Amino acid sequence: MRRLLALVLLLQTLQVGLAGAAEKNLVLVVADPYLEMHSGPGRGFPVVYVIGRDELVTVIYSRTDWFKVRAPTGQEGWVRRADLARTLLATGEPAPIPPYPDFSTRRWEVGAGYGVYNHENLVTAYGDFSLTPSLDIELVVQQAFGTLDNRYIASFGMRHTFIPEWKWFSPTAGLGAAYQYIEDVVPPAPLQKSNEMAYVSLGARGFITRRFMWRADWRHYVVFNDLNVYEDLEEWKLDLAVFF
Amino acid sequence: MEIRLSSVLLAAALLAGCSWFHRGAKPAPEIVAEEPQAEPSIVEPQVTRREVKTPKIKSKDFELGAYFGALSIQDFGTNAVYGVSGAYHVSEDIFLQGYVGRSKAGTTSLEDVFPDITVVSESGRRFTYYDLDVGYNVLPGEIFLGRGRAFNSALYVTVGMGDVKFADKDQFALNFGVGERLLITDWLALHLDVRDHIFETDLTGRTKNVDNIEATIGLTVFY
Repeated sequence: MRRLLALVLLLQTLQVGLAGAAEKNLVLVVADPYLEMHSGPGRGFPVVYVIGRDELVTVIYSRTDWFKVRAPTGQEGWVRRADLARTLLATGEPAPIPPYPDFSTRRWEVGAGYGVYNHENLVTAYGDFSLTPSLDIELVVQQAFGTLDNRYIASFGMRHTFIPEWKWFSPTAGLGAAYQYIEDVVPPAPLQKSNEMAYVSLGARGFITRRFMWRADWRHYVVFNDLNVYEDLEEWKLDLAVFF
Repeated sequence: MEIRLSSVLLAAALLAGCSWFHRGAKPAPEIVAEEPQAEPSIVEPQVTRREVKTPKIKSKDFELGAYFGALSIQDFGTNAVYGVSGAYHVSEDIFLQGYVGRSKAGTTSLEDVFPDITVVSESGRRFTYYDLDVGYNVLPGEIFLGRGRAFNSALYVTVGMGDVKFADKDQFALNFGVGERLLITDWLALHLDVRDHIFETDLTGRTKNVDNIEATIGLTVFY
């Protein structure tokens, strides 16, 4: 009997826990005459359910520009961002649906692209954080595919955007420090397997559409070595990036 | 006439004098009807304002999974391949994707006929690669299983580049792929993919572009 009681109590607390978890979802009130729910997160998926005005809609999660929601009847479906943004909180305030990321207010960029490093094919990936609209810090990792060697390059630097108001094209300039690791493929082995480097860069960036942007960069590296010779390298690259 | 003028002046002086004396006086207090004094309450109401926090909406734009299948390495036969994949969905149409996979090459027909000849060393037969791709959902839709079940799906194409390490050498590779994503639930997806890794090699004597086509089946989770 005691065990049964314990079980019932446990189930009850579990239920409370579950109810609590359910309450963590955002609940909104439909303000339009109706809110359409699609069967999938895409423009082509058919409308399978409609929630009427003043009814509640529970937002479960989002995927790209679509929000998975639950109607009071338990029916689930997908609502587009623009439609959900016109709903209200229970207090009557507008729904806190995050706006679509805007290029001028972006903070983060993540991108990848193709380039040529020391006359060899280069695969590049980068992450960038805007300190101010005209000053960024960036971290880049790259792999260059040579006929004689294979190089991994990591660099960290700052970049200045000259006219940040220009959306489609704006020139940039930067400088930073880099490190390269050389893996020899064909003998002779390199005299030094790794180097520290410094670079200056000139480039440009621009908005493409929605959340995409491009970046082009030309870099001149000065290689620090113990061989008592001046060594420098050139690189250019073109990246496609997504901003947040 | 003179008297009238002097009396006017006197009146003006008096008025000015009155206003001079009056300047420091406070304005008369307005008469307000007194409100009846409320009785001192015994219980002081302690109102604590409830912090209303609107819950944040979780986004599930990332996809992570694993796959296995068969990879046809040109001139080296077809072998098992397996790997992991990750994707970020930027919009309902476009996603960014990465793969890391590995396989092991078999023997060339030359090596089969002449067992003494080795084209690639044993360690060099390891075929590993990574890809960075952009994908586009070309044909989104629904797949029906029987009468009452529908799964969201999408046919997508991918293009990208990466590295193929084969015969102890890293090669720059281009990738083209086509795949089908079938969402078993809204967070679990089944993938069927065909991808081609193209790179330049001179392993078999002359420099040529080789196509290494793989067909894989994978399972991913959206989070």
